Amino acid sequence: MKRTKRSAVLALSAAAALLLTSCGFSGGNDSGGSAESEGAQTTLEMLVPTYSTGTKALWEGVIDDFETEHPNIKVNLEVQSWENIENVLKTKLQGNQAPDIYNGGAFAEFAAEDLLAPASDVASAETLADFQTAFADAEKYQDTQYGLPLIASARALFYNKDLMEEAGVKNVPTTWDQLHDASKAISDKTKADGYGMPLGSEEAQGESLIWFAGNGGNFGDAQKIAVNTPANLEAAEFMKKMIDDGVTQNDPGATQRTPMLNTFIQGKLGFAYALPQTVGQIKKENPDLNYGIAAVATKTGSPATLGVADRLMSFKNDGSKSAAVKEFFDYFFSADVYTDWVSTEGFLPTTKSGSEKLAGDETLKPFLDLLPNAVFYPTTNPAWNATDGAFKSLMGEIATGKSAQEVLDAIQAKADAAK
Amino acid sequence: MSSPVPVKAPAGRKLRRSTDTQSFISSLPWIGPALLLILAIVVFPAGYMIYNSTRKISSVGTDLHSAGLANFSTIFADPALPRILANTFFWVVSVVLITVVISLALAQFLSKPFPGRTIVRMAVIVPWAASVVMTTTVFYYGLDPNYGIFNHFFVQIGFMDEGFGWTKNAIPAMAVSVVVAIFVSIPFTTYTLLAGLQAVPGDTLEAARMDGAGRWKTYLFVVLPQLRSALAVAVLINIINVFNNLPILKVMTGSIPGNSADTLMTYIFKVLQFDRRLDLSSALSVVNFAIVLVIVAIYVKTVKPMQEV
Repeated sequence: MKRTKRSAVLALSAAAALLLTSCGFSGGNDSGGSAESEGAQTTLEMLVPTYSTGTKALWEGVIDDFETEHPNIKVNLEVQSWENIENVLKTKLQGNQAPDIYNGGAFAEFAAEDLLAPASDVASAETLADFQTAFADAEKYQDTQYGLPLIASARALFYNKDLMEEAGVKNVPTTWDQLHDASKAISDKTKADGYGMPLGSEEAQGESLIWFAGNGGNFGDAQKIAVNTPANLEAAEFMKKMIDDGVTQNDPGATQRTPMLNTFIQGKLGFAYALPQTVGQIKKENPDLNYGIAAVATKTGSPATLGVADRLMSFKNDGSKSAAVKEFFDYFFSADVYTDWVSTEGFLPTTKSGSEKLAGDETLKPFLDLLPNAVFYPTTNPAWNATDGAFKSLMGEIATGKSAQEVLDAIQAKADAAK
Repeated sequence: MSSPVPVKAPAGRKLRRSTDTQSFISSLPWIGPALLLILAIVVFPAGYMIYNSTRKISSVGTDLHSAGLANFSTIFADPALPRILANTFFWVVSVVLITVVISLALAQFLSKPFPGRTIVRMAVIVPWAASVVMTTTVFYYGLDPNYGIFNHFFVQIGFMDEGFGWTKNAIPAMAVSVVVAIFVSIPFTTYTLLAGLQAVPGDTLEAARMDGAGRWKTYLFVVLPQLRSALAVAVLINIINVFNNLPILKVMTGSIPGNSADTLMTYIFKVLQFDRRLDLSSALSVVNFAIVLVIVAIYVKTVKPMQEV
């Protein structure tokens, strides 16, 4: 009898202790206990998004090799989808569990709140000097570099040659009007849709900037987000014309990019703007697809495209891990490791040594050619994240009855409210 | 509340107090963990949510300063709110109403003995056993305009010329979400009502028959009143569940731009995900919380579900 009583008390106190520890706000150093006993081991928390289905394995390979070289550093990898990663990060920030290494799009708002370690604290001078100047400059907030440019990418027009032939379209469109007419021909004369316009929450901001850039527009700069400018409005109105004339797929306002590109890969779409990785995807999933890659169609035909650069950054937390982060970044950006990573993912390199190594790559060539005319997101503006969110949730409304002016004004209002 | 719960007579209270305290202390080890759990996962988060709703929080998540009730005036001034509340109302009423009507019929059917009843009863549980997100995702892909099986079927039988984006437009997306919500709510509701039905004493039915009541009259005036407490539980829990449902709507209507298909719950999620306004979404959650409390209060007050028949 006594024994059962004691074990009951034990079980209860154990349960209570469990509750207390698991529900409290822990301070982000829960790896402390076990790390001490194994000598001076540092554990780095790393949070990255998936660029492709191979991303996780690719990082795991890098981390394994790194850990063999640096037995005193352990890297915990967490991989999230692009749709979720910013929510995950936000939850971690609120719980004081900011990742030591983070791969993301925007960084300025974190820098503005002094959450990030300056790049010079987490990478050696040689590593920093190896980045191409244009990319390194885009990583600065108030003259201090915070991000390490990880990848660059540009969009190009993918066209289905078979569908063009079936619809009697001779030339690859280079202007908006040609793209409109070619898409209309394909929509009318074949069973496929003409142009794939993904304005759903996955990447409405990307599709929008491709069109805006085609009219000399952009989303503003580090100081001011400018969405409802005349140039952007004209572009948005042309997008709406494409939709209203029925030359796009159905329900463009609710279409995500990935499934839209899948229909292109299956040969059921005439035109779509896609990325370097799409080439690899087509090779794998439908190698028989008869397609070509051309420059983005713009209003006048002058070259312009959307460029994307993503970056690695380090949240400084209490600052005790910056030496270990530095080891990792220096290792990762060494020419061999980095070029292997970038070319496997199908992106364009941001380092000088990487560009030299990949200069002869045929798949990357059309995109490398477009890069000089690329327009980038204003990621150095702290209001960019809110603008990005507003595009994702609102831009599709040009397909559900609202006017281009109304939609751009609403996005601008959300951007202004984020200051 | 003025519910006629019998109150213990105060006589002998003094005498009993010491034993009351004693029994409370001795029961503490037993109810303690549950109390702790409630404090930690119900009371604390709710309090923290209310606190957050009065703060100005940066889009990164840093608590900047007090905002008073500014967050509430912002959300009430939001032009999207009336549509969202109307959607929420339509969503809750249609799902709960249809679920209860179908479940009443189903429970009646399942309480009658027939060969294979056990198997049918098991089959009714299946939607309950499967994960809601999984069930919804199956429907979502089935309704995809390009490769969805439902669309494929409708095109094949000549009902439609080409696939329709059921989940891409506000009204059809809401309608199919209602269907999915009913599908996953039926098992719980049916089983609650079935349990209620089996508690109806056979002699009351016999008495009704003796008095010459027909089938409908027996059901309406004898069975239904005795189902009152089971119905009350089913309706109340369904209202709260459906009102707070995120997974179904998030999957089914998540890709629709703007707020034309949002309920309060998905709107809170969007404010958090796209606008990154933790303070505003906390304020919305407080409103959400208040609405649920009001619904429950009105329901308890008017239907008096706890009153014995």
